[in-house]
Amino acid sequence: MTAGPDRPDATAGLAALRRTLPADTERAAHAYAIEDLEPRIAFAPDDRAEVAVLLRTAAEHALTVVPQASRTALALGAPLEAYDVALDLRGLHRTMEYVPDDLTVTVEAGKPLRDLQQELAEHGQYLSVDPPPDDQVSVGGLLATARGGAWRGHLPSARDLVLGIEVAQPSGALVKSGGRVVKNVTGYDLHRLHTGALGAFGVILDATFKVAPLPVATRTLAAAATSISEAASVARRAWDASLSTRAITILAPEPAGHVGLPSAPTVLVELAGSEAAVDRSTRDLAAFASWSDGPAQGWAYLRRLHGDQAGTVLRIGAPPSSIATMLEAARAAGALAWGHLAAGCVIAYADGMEAHAITALRQAAERARGYLQVEAAPVPIRRQVAPGGPGDPALVAALRDQFDPSRILNRGRWPEEGRP
Amino acid sequence: MATGSPGTLVRDLQGALGAAHVLHLPEDLIVYEYDATIERALPDVVVFPATTAEVAACVRIALDHDVPVVPRGSGTGLSGGAVPVRGGVLVVLTRMNRILEVDATDRVAVVQPGVINLALQEAAAPLGLTYAPDPSSQRVCTIGGNIANNSGGPHTLAHGSTVNHVLALEVVLPDARVVRLGSRVPDAPGVDLRGLLVGSEGTLGIVTEATLRLVRQQPAVRTLLAIFESVEDASNAVSETIRRGVIPVAMEMLDQEIIRIVEPRIRAGYPMDAGAALLIEVEGVAEGVALDAAVVEAACHAAGAREVRSAEEASERERLWEGRKAAIGAIGAAAPAFYLLDGVVPRTKLPEVMAQVMELSRAAGFRCANVFHAGDGNLHPNIMFDPAEPRATERVLELGEAIMRVCVDAGGAITGEHGVGLEKRSYMEWVFTPADLAAQHAVRDAFGSTDRFNPCKVLPGGHGCASGHMKEISPHLVEGAYV
Repeated sequence: MTAGPDRPDATAGLAALRRTLPADTERAAHAYAIEDLEPRIAFAPDDRAEVAVLLRTAAEHALTVVPQASRTALALGAPLEAYDVALDLRGLHRTMEYVPDDLTVTVEAGKPLRDLQQELAEHGQYLSVDPPPDDQVSVGGLLATARGGAWRGHLPSARDLVLGIEVAQPSGALVKSGGRVVKNVTGYDLHRLHTGALGAFGVILDATFKVAPLPVATRTLAAAATSISEAASVARRAWDASLSTRAITILAPEPAGHVGLPSAPTVLVELAGSEAAVDRSTRDLAAFASWSDGPAQGWAYLRRLHGDQAGTVLRIGAPPSSIATMLEAARAAGALAWGHLAAGCVIAYADGMEAHAITALRQAAERARGYLQVEAAPVPIRRQVAPGGPGDPALVAALRDQFDPSRILNRGRWPEEGRP
Repeated sequence: MATGSPGTLVRDLQGALGAAHVLHLPEDLIVYEYDATIERALPDVVVFPATTAEVAACVRIALDHDVPVVPRGSGTGLSGGAVPVRGGVLVVLTRMNRILEVDATDRVAVVQPGVINLALQEAAAPLGLTYAPDPSSQRVCTIGGNIANNSGGPHTLAHGSTVNHVLALEVVLPDARVVRLGSRVPDAPGVDLRGLLVGSEGTLGIVTEATLRLVRQQPAVRTLLAIFESVEDASNAVSETIRRGVIPVAMEMLDQEIIRIVEPRIRAGYPMDAGAALLIEVEGVAEGVALDAAVVEAACHAAGAREVRSAEEASERERLWEGRKAAIGAIGAAAPAFYLLDGVVPRTKLPEVMAQVMELSRAAGFRCANVFHAGDGNLHPNIMFDPAEPRATERVLELGEAIMRVCVDAGGAITGEHGVGLEKRSYMEWVFTPADLAAQHAVRDAFGSTDRFNPCKVLPGGHGCASGHMKEISPHLVEGAYV
């Protein structure tokens, strides 16, 4: 780890941080290690002004900062190149405004999704996202990673649900964009820029979301098939029938076995809506496959596996027409694989996978006009294979030059051009 | 503004596009000095590129001559976005009007920016698919313009705005580089430059190709028309419906003033003595739709509706929509001029905000007709006036500004779907701090676009841009303004 001989002296910077932040916000640094790096110092501020001061002070002293809360996506992106300050945002966990009749809620970034969902459920509402590995994901982490699960493609994703945010920039400025209304084209959508950016342009402090009524009824159904392609065509018919589906997922035999189903290619469907809509959808599904009640806990299992930071997890973007092919390819590479049809997304999980195998899958995905993002893999693999999905490195670098010119935030996560 | 000789600029553009696709004579340019609003300004030259490479060539030439570039589609914008306030090269994208692909399997369409919104819907319909964003100008407006403005429409309530339906973009940047952002696969990971570009009003790049998400037409649709004694009751019905756990795909409000203007002309069957009407649409599987419609009906009655009509057949539904669709045109026929406003408030604030809007209009001595997206809290007051009356235009602008203030004070925003453009630049300071605006300027700087692409739009300030709001806008109307 870490404090190698070439790690520059940071005494002055650390002293400055200790001077500017309340003593009771400092934490033991060793608790914040990420992979093979341990920070020099850690803080857990509980108000946004302190976050701004921390960033400004760190920037003045060229100290690198890694914002974090629930620590559920630490293996996402390229390996960190430097890590001086851990910024623990769990102290920012207030619900700032919730107006059920407006279907909007404003919450601080450190709040776990689980707590937010509980508050919303009291009013019969929810935020329609199911990110890996589970609802311990913080609101800020949800946005910074922009990950979802089986509901994507059926329900709006985090990118679609965020109405506005406030961030702290490395300059110390607090900057908001968007607002608290559900339809808004006032100015640039900086909140979209921050969503999925892995903290490249600022630290998310709060966000306003559009929420939805909780479905009255949900039902999980499973249908086994003789082949993955047959499963894919059943899934396709379910999708084309325009039913009240919240998820249509194709499982290779191995993950089907893991969720307590027979080890066969399987379609797992979640219906959600009114009782009447769910019943009608159940009847319509029966027209083209034989369904049994599926294991509702299967969804949680798939989410956990997707979010496993110790394994090798690939998110393969594949248009719906290529889902079955990419699922087969991932399986042939030795992975547990399942595919969310409407989202155009295959998740491949393996205990380990060689870099060349990941590269081969990426090439296959790109031939199918999709992409591959490494969601988790050991550090050496992520040094050999660029983990990111599609993007324009030159524009990302130009934006970084504006918002984080000395690259103090999450340095290394985005391998970009023009880095100082 | 051209530093080089305009003659060379024109010659270079003619060399790139052919003389037939470059307009430079004053009598030709005059058609392109305005859009569906307000300010007028002449471009130095108007070009009609046919390919991405030609767009990039135009941008390169403009760069070499140090003149601004302003993109334009059909010119239906309502905030002055396509008005070339500092001259330069107006890039009209209407020749790039091909639908390149409609793929029912992947549910995507790939289109050029000049494709008309309705043409895409019509191309998708035989496959059982639709392109959801449906601005009321959809017979005329282009997809490129929709992307620039992140356009909405009556069905935004359930389906979202344009940004929720754009998967990927090919864009010519201010340095003439061509980039592809996003992915054919929805919700691609990483820095969302696609999402940043949508709604940037032509200030960050020119879209030359778009990959769009198509959605499946729903098996059942039902349209309801609820008649109320007052806008307040109708607004309460909106909240009551949502409180009961149903989100319709559309909830459109017509107030008494607009009903009295529309009904004699359209005969849509709205009672002339109604205080307000709500047009509500629900869709989904048949049983779900029946249930949702029952909930909506009960919510409307609970809020004091005097009558709720319901239609399932396409022709009947169409008739209920007719009055809504014809509303703005009818205002145009009823008054010498009107100023169409676009503001947004939390939907629970609708009753009090609408009361203030009406009070302000009354006090200012203008008739104000309201037809708007109530479910989204997206207001569209139409202030009717006669420009020939002394100071009318100025007074209308003052009233418009006062109404925007009311929206902001209610926790809302200054535009829900029409864009900031030229019209509302100076209002940006009402909703954003200097630090917020600096961050937006930083985005513009990162794209290298500050003085190059659509200067003097969206953000206040800017080199060589007029600063005073009132002087910048002098609305004249505008037959066929759109909501």
